[in-house]
Amino acid sequence: MSELGALQRAFGAALESNDGARRHAPLFRGPPERVLARLAVYRGNAVGASRRALAGAYPIVAKIVGEQFFEGLAREYLRGHPSASGDLNAFGEAFAGFLAAFPHTQDLPYLPDVAQLEWLAHRAHYAADAAALDPARLGAVPEEAYVRLRFALAPACALMESRWPLARIWEVHQDDFDGEFSVDLDAGPERILVCRPQFRVLVGALSAGGYRFLRGVASGATLVEALDAALAEEPAFDLGAALATWLDTGVIVDAALEADA
Amino acid sequence: MNAGRAAPRLECRLGVGVGLRAKHYRDFLDQRSDVDWLEAHSENYFGAGGYDLHVLRRLRADYPISVHGVGLALGSAVPEPGDHIAKLKRLIEAVEPALVSEHLCWGRAPGRHFNDLLPLPYTEEALALMTERVSRLQEALGRRVLIENVSSYLEFRASGIPECEFVAELARRSGCGVLLDVNNLYVNQLNHGCDALAAMRSIPVDAVAEIHLAGHLVTETCAIDTHGARVGEPVWRLYEAALERFGAVPTLIEWDTDIPPLEVLVDEAQRARAMREEARRV
Repeated sequence: MSELGALQRAFGAALESNDGARRHAPLFRGPPERVLARLAVYRGNAVGASRRALAGAYPIVAKIVGEQFFEGLAREYLRGHPSASGDLNAFGEAFAGFLAAFPHTQDLPYLPDVAQLEWLAHRAHYAADAAALDPARLGAVPEEAYVRLRFALAPACALMESRWPLARIWEVHQDDFDGEFSVDLDAGPERILVCRPQFRVLVGALSAGGYRFLRGVASGATLVEALDAALAEEPAFDLGAALATWLDTGVIVDAALEADA
Repeated sequence: MNAGRAAPRLECRLGVGVGLRAKHYRDFLDQRSDVDWLEAHSENYFGAGGYDLHVLRRLRADYPISVHGVGLALGSAVPEPGDHIAKLKRLIEAVEPALVSEHLCWGRAPGRHFNDLLPLPYTEEALALMTERVSRLQEALGRRVLIENVSSYLEFRASGIPECEFVAELARRSGCGVLLDVNNLYVNQLNHGCDALAAMRSIPVDAVAEIHLAGHLVTETCAIDTHGARVGEPVWRLYEAALERFGAVPTLIEWDTDIPPLEVLVDEAQRARAMREEARRV
């Protein structure tokens, strides 16, 4: 290994543990106590940066557990899942899985799902912009062509299922929420749509049929295939009403006939 | 100072800018602020779309933009991942910045990124690596970049080249410009006892294309480059010396922690502007 590589490895080890710091302190100028104290400043910076990045991506988790506990969570998470990118907005992807296994948050069983939702919302915030599909374009498609029609979801859209009332948890934790702060944790399972009409990320609950339909669209099903699956799940599913909403909120951004492709 | 020499360079017409932070988006969107340009941290705009990029695209119509990277960790011994440069290139194509800059530091280790501007050992080996990395970056981006001297709390015993000589030589070999952070020079003087003024004099007059000013915090352990306060008086004095030596180069007020109302940044920018004007007249 190059000397530069060896020095950086040693610096890295000195930032990762007290042991490493003591072992490698002589690589730096100055008395050992001063070197150790300054290595601690670098370590504090690293924890601070990751805590801020995590709190930015997971503001609701941070609100639920409180600032101090969240700092501890960030420290623990960083230990097992160090940042791999120079872009801190990419940091924290495995936080939901980490929370699911973390012993000290087991009394908040919904926390991993809240985190998973927040990661989808975080990604939606930075996703590519997409203009909503013009309803006139859709109107021009003859009904007999629906068997060949495929929709495309906006890049910001994401779907998830949870046994917890995530849409409500999301709603009551928004900064501008001024209703009654109450969540019925036994409200039953939920199907969630994350979307971003323009620039604000929205989170809403879907009906069983709506969820099945969009899942189908996301996996490349034609309109007829997706609708059949939705109706099998929810016989009363109203495609017309759902489409109007999804066009309005920029969920569906393209429609193509197979022959066009 | 001979302003006539500096004037024809486009970069010199930029004046005094401030760092663009999300907290001030609304201020900048609502009305024209009395600052000459804005500097954005590249990585905050790496998304394919979304609000941050939208704001930056809007503001580029009103202000020259500088794109300032904090994540490339150019001096890391491990090979760099290609996607970071690709995202930077996409951002540059989207906002056509007047300036593009990164840091003289390392930060990537096998399998992890420290997301900090860690100091290099200033050795021939590090200089060769930085030269290669900066040259490749400039090639990939198709333009000159500026490299900033960093603040540090520790110095490698292995360092044999003073930092400013290192950055000056890097500029000579790679053709990059120098982004001189005057606050970092002062913080390093406090932390390592090196002479900031002498360090500045080791940089060739025409190498510096941008100056950074920011606040720092002096603690018992060391001085920390917090970017969380007004520019310190000793740093203003060094800035005066920098203007005298390097001419009226574009100057940036940086503020990253405990970000105050925009007026405070504008006020700091006014002070820098007045000093620049004074330097031009001399």
